[in-house]
Order: sequence, then C-alpha cells, then structure tokens
Amino acid sequence: MKRAAAALAALLLATGTAACGSNDKGSEDKGPDGPHLAVSGAYVKEPPMPDMTAGYFTITNTGRDADTLTSVTSDLAKHVTVHTTKPDGSMTEAGPLAVPAHGRLVLRMGGYHVMFIGLHRKPKTGETVTMTLRFATSAPITVNAPVQPAGYRPGDR
Amino acid sequence: MRALLHASPRTAVPVRAALVVAAVSLTASACGGTPSASRPDAATPPSGTAIRLDRPLPKPDLTLTDDRGRTFDLVKQTAGKPVLMYFGYTHCPDVCPTTMADIANAVKKLPQAEQRKLRVVFVTTDPDRDTPKRLHRWLAAFDTRFTGLSGDFDATQKAARSLGIAVEKPRKNADGSYTVNHGAQVLAFSPADDKVHMIYTSGTTTRQYSADLPKIIKGAL
Repeated sequence: MKRAAAALAALLLATGTAACGSNDKGSEDKGPDGPHLAVSGAYVKEPPMPDMTAGYFTITNTGRDADTLTSVTSDLAKHVTVHTTKPDGSMTEAGPLAVPAHGRLVLRMGGYHVMFIGLHRKPKTGETVTMTLRFATSAPITVNAPVQPAGYRPGDR
Repeated sequence: MRALLHASPRTAVPVRAALVVAAVSLTASACGGTPSASRPDAATPPSGTAIRLDRPLPKPDLTLTDDRGRTFDLVKQTAGKPVLMYFGYTHCPDVCPTTMADIANAVKKLPQAEQRKLRVVFVTTDPDRDTPKRLHRWLAAFDTRFTGLSGDFDATQKAARSLGIAVEKPRKNADGSYTVNHGAQVLAFSPADDKVHMIYTSGTTTRQYSADLPKIIKGAL
C-alpha cells in the first residue's frame, strides 16, 4: 500500500512538476498547434492615376508552426501580386512568403507590397478594398482594407 | 558608416560626399524597409535619414523636356532657387507616390511665399513610358506646381550618377513586365550655391520635410 501510495504521490508530483515546468517556460513553446494567423494594419494606397496601386498589411503568427502566404486576390484589379522593392530601387515579384512561427510578415512601403495592376476602378480615400490572402496551411483570410492617401503611414492619425 | 546612417533618423549626420553612393544600397535597412519577417521592430513605421554632405554636390548639366512639353535646362531654370529633386517613375506604386505625397504634404504647410520659391523636380528613370503628358497627370495628383522631366536616358543616368544615384536602363521582361528602378533619396539644392547639401533617404516623412524645408528655402541648410 505504502509503495502504491508513494508511486501515486511520485506520479502526481511528476505531473505537477511537469505542469509547473511548462508554465515556467512561459508561452514561448506553447501556443496553438500549427500556424495561427491574424491580419492587421491593412490598407490600400489611393493612387495618382487609375492604372495601378499598392496595398499593405501585417500578418502575425502566434502559432508554433510557420505558414506561407501563397497568393493575394482582389476584385480591385486584373492582376494582383506581391512585389518587393529591392535596395537598388527596382521591384520584383516576390514568391511565396514565409510567415514564421511566433513571428510576422510585414508588408510596408519600401519593402514587400501588394501590387494591383489593371484597376477596375480607381480607389479613393475612405473606400474599402477587399483582399483575400491564401496560405499553404491556414484557411484563407479575407481583409477589408481602407483606402488611405498616398502619404499615409501606419500609426499616423 | 553603417552606424552613422543608423543614427537618430532626424539628426543630420556629416558624411563624405563619396559615401553618398553607399547610401543608395544601405537605404533599405536604414529606413527599415528590409522585408524581415521576424524582427521585433517590424511594426515600427519606417522613417528616412537626413544626411548632410560635407562636400556639397553641384547641380548636373541636364536639359530634358518638362511635363508641359517645353525644353527645360535644369541649371539655368532653377538657378538661385531651392530645389528638391527625385529620380523615379510613374509605374511605381510603392515608394514613388509616397515620396511625392510626403513632399507635397510638407509643401502645403509652408507659407505661400515659401511655396512659390521652392521647385520640386521629378526626373523620370523610365522616359519611354513616362511621356511629358503622363508625368503631368501623375504629378498633378500631388501638386500641379511640381515639375516633371523626361528625356534621354543616358543623360538622365549620367546626371543621377553625378549625384550619387544609380539608375539602370529600364528592361522589358519576357512576360511583358518592366524592371525599372528609382533613386533611393531626395536631393535638396540650396539657393545659396545651387549645390546639394542635404539628402533625404527613402521613407523620409512629411514631418521631417516640414522641419527642414523652411531652412532649405532660406539657404540655411
């Protein structure tokens, strides 16, 4: 009996310790299984001319696995692609982009951006543009992005 | 050098003119534009760096066609005036419109007399597609007083190079898309000596321009 009780106590203690142990580690290695994505800060620039414009957003991944942004679609334009502005000032189409575990993918001026070419309409400040983001693992996320003036900076008010 | 460029973005840092070329390649990181998915500061809005040259750059000889279809001799027609100059192209949805909008918003805040003194010149790096007419339309969205210049690419490239800016000839790719590039910085010419004393790297905000423009216009920067 004593041994069983001792064994049980040891088991409980071990379990308790394990529980404490993982709590002590904090949330670094925890978090939902797989990627867990949220999109914030989305906006589309009001362009000077009706032929093309750029869009931006931040994807935050609180999950423990990475994911990949594979495409962005929108009814705003014929062609919607993600481009990057390189240090030499040229732009190229960016392939699928990683959204790291416990990390972010940031699209911003001077870096990655969504390029809309062949606009069906010229977006105006105050309007909304709908974008659907598709991923390798996660379900698609649809974002309603406000149209902002060309000089807008996230965090500006 | 890298440390200097990463210094407080709003402090003008004296550097050698020769190092201006280095600024072109370092700009992306200096203004936080490098796409980096896991940097903790990824959400910080980027701002540019104001660089003061301790060897000011002379205004290049450049005669192109302006956005109203007239011959425009840069040296003659902006002599004694404060000038902001940028090399860009209109099929650029990201940096170019933002740069011009930031400048335009700062210009709008100036007293009328100062607005009238300042010249803002946009030189296209894509003259085949950016005709004077197109430049005029594109620039009008920011400020109808901005001047657009379009013309011989080699002359444009030479002028840009003399100002520490590397532009490549636009290339049409197999899939029909174009590869064009734009300068990474806005150049400010002083009315006192018609030379570049200040350079503003990509991402410089309206607030940063607003702080410096009155001094530039006065010839004090």
